Amino acid sequence: MKDIYELLNDMDINDHEFEEMKVTELDKAKVKKALKESLRPKKKMNKWKKSAAASVIIVGFTAAALGFTFPSYASGIPVIGNIFKFLDGGRTAIYDNYKTYSSEINQSAESNGIKLTIQDAIFDGEAVSITYSLESNQDLGDQPRLRGRLDIKGTDGQSGGSQISKVDKNNYVGLVTASSFLNRKESDTVHVQWNIDNIYIQDNKEYIEGNWSFAFALKATENNIQWIDRTVEHNGVKVSIRKISITPMSYIVYYDQEVSKEIQKKWHGVDIDLDIRDDLGHGYSGKGNGGSGDRGGYNMSWSKTFEKLDPNATKLMITPHLRLYEYTSDNHGSVEETRDGSASIPIPDKSGKGQEEFVLEEIIIDLVK
Amino acid sequence: MKFNDKNVIQQLQRRNEDALEYIIDTYLPLIKGVIHKVLSPLENEGMIDECINDTFLSIWSHSKKFHGEATDFKKWICAIAKYKAIDYYRKAAKNVEFTSNDIVWNTEKSAEDELILMEDKSELIKIINQLEPVDRNIFIMKFFLGFRTEDIAAKLGLSNTAIDNRIYRGKKKLYSKAVHLNFGGSVR
Repeated sequence: MKDIYELLNDMDINDHEFEEMKVTELDKAKVKKALKESLRPKKKMNKWKKSAAASVIIVGFTAAALGFTFPSYASGIPVIGNIFKFLDGGRTAIYDNYKTYSSEINQSAESNGIKLTIQDAIFDGEAVSITYSLESNQDLGDQPRLRGRLDIKGTDGQSGGSQISKVDKNNYVGLVTASSFLNRKESDTVHVQWNIDNIYIQDNKEYIEGNWSFAFALKATENNIQWIDRTVEHNGVKVSIRKISITPMSYIVYYDQEVSKEIQKKWHGVDIDLDIRDDLGHGYSGKGNGGSGDRGGYNMSWSKTFEKLDPNATKLMITPHLRLYEYTSDNHGSVEETRDGSASIPIPDKSGKGQEEFVLEEIIIDLVK
Repeated sequence: MKFNDKNVIQQLQRRNEDALEYIIDTYLPLIKGVIHKVLSPLENEGMIDECINDTFLSIWSHSKKFHGEATDFKKWICAIAKYKAIDYYRKAAKNVEFTSNDIVWNTEKSAEDELILMEDKSELIKIINQLEPVDRNIFIMKFFLGFRTEDIAAKLGLSNTAIDNRIYRGKKKLYSKAVHLNFGGSVR
C-alpha cells in the first residue's frame, strides 16, 4: 500500500503553475533553525536548554598558546602555588592579587583514573573563578576539555570561560570562571556546584566518562559599587557604562551595548571593547566576563574585569572601541550546545563586508573615594 | 560537499542534514509561494511559517519515498507543500466558515471530507489505494491537492462530466468501504 507521499509521487503536477515568492536569507535561516530543532529529540530538553535560549551564553575557551616557559615555574611542579598567575603567564596583571584574596578549597574527586582537585576559588561579586589541578593516569593531549556544568544556585544562566594548561606529563592546571548570573538574588554568598560528566581529548576526539562533582559556598570579596550611567553613541551603536565594582584585587566594569536596526541589518557582529587609563597615565588590562542579551548578540549587557585599581587614581578614562564585522567560516561558528548535543546555526547573508573599526568618545569618570 | 540537483536527493535520503539545508536554500521561495497561495486568505502568518516548516520536515522524513528524476523532485515537493497547505486550511476552516477563490469544495461536509479531517489519515489512504489508478489520482488531486474539476479534466484529457462521474462513483465506493471498515461513526 502506498502512503500519501508515495501517492503524491504519481501526481503529474505542472510545476509552472506555482509561483516563487521572495525569500530573504533570514527567512531561510529561520526555517533551517526550526527544522534542526525539530530534528532533535524534544523530550529530554531541560531547564538548561531553556535558559540557554533565553539568553546568549557566551563561552570563551582560551585556545591561544600561553606565553610562558616551563623552567621559571618548574620549581612548584606538580603543585602550582598560584595557578591564577601561572595560567596568565605574565601577560597581564589581572590575576596578580587573586591568590591573596581567594579561599583555599582543596576538594578532590577521583573517577576513572583522573583526579581533579579544586585549589582556590574566589567570587568578586560578579564572577566566580576556580582554579584546579588535574592528575591523570594517561596523556590527555595538550588541551583536554572538561565537559560539564558549573552551576551557581539560584541563577538562570551564566557565561564563563575556561582554560587549561599542561604542566608536565599527565598533569594539568586550569581555571574556570562563570559570571553574569541572570536573576541572581543580590547576595554576597554564592553556592557553587561543578559537575563534570566527561573529559574530551581534542587530539583523538575521545571522551573519558566519569563523575567529578564539587559543591561549596563562596563569600564575595569586599566590593564597592559606583553607579555611572553614561552613554556615548556612534553611528547607531550606543554604549552605556552602567557601573563599576571595585574589589581589593580588581575592578569590574559593567556596560551595555545597543545596536540600531540599520546596523543589525548590515553587520553580523558588533563588538565593543573598553580601553581604560587612569589620570596617572596607567593603562589597565582586562578580561571579559561574557554577557547576556538578545539572540543576535547585538543588544547585550557585558562585564569586564580589570586589574587592581591604583589606589592613587582619582579618574578613569574609558574609551569604547567599536568593531563591526562580517561572519565568515573562519571567524564564526555558531553552535548551540545543549545536553542533547550541539547544533550549528547557519550564517545569514548581510551587506557589510570585512570589518570596520571606530574609536568612540572617551567617558571620564570621577572615582568616589 | 558540493550539492547539485542530482546528488542532493541521494544525500537527503542518506540523512545528510546539509542536503536539507540545500533543499531549503533552493526551494524555499517555491514552497513559500505554494503555501502562501493557499493560506494567505486566512491572514495567519504564523500558520504559514508552521506549514512551511512542516513541509520541509515531511520532505526530510519521507525522502525515501520519492522516486524519479531531479525534475520530478520539484513536482513532488510542490505537491507535498500543497497537500500540507490544504490540510492546514481544512483544519482551520473546520472552525471558521470560509470561502476562497482558489479552493472550491462543498461547504457541506461529505463523507470524504469528514474522513480527511480525521487525525489519522491512514485508513482513508488505505481505501484510496483500492481505487483504480485513474480514480486514485483524481481523488488525490481533488481532495488532497484542492484542484478544480476543470483542471483535473484538462490534465487527464477527460471531460468535466467524466471527472464528476468518476468522483461520484468513487465516493460511493469510498462510502461503502468506509462503512465496511466500521468507521461509520465518523461518517455522518
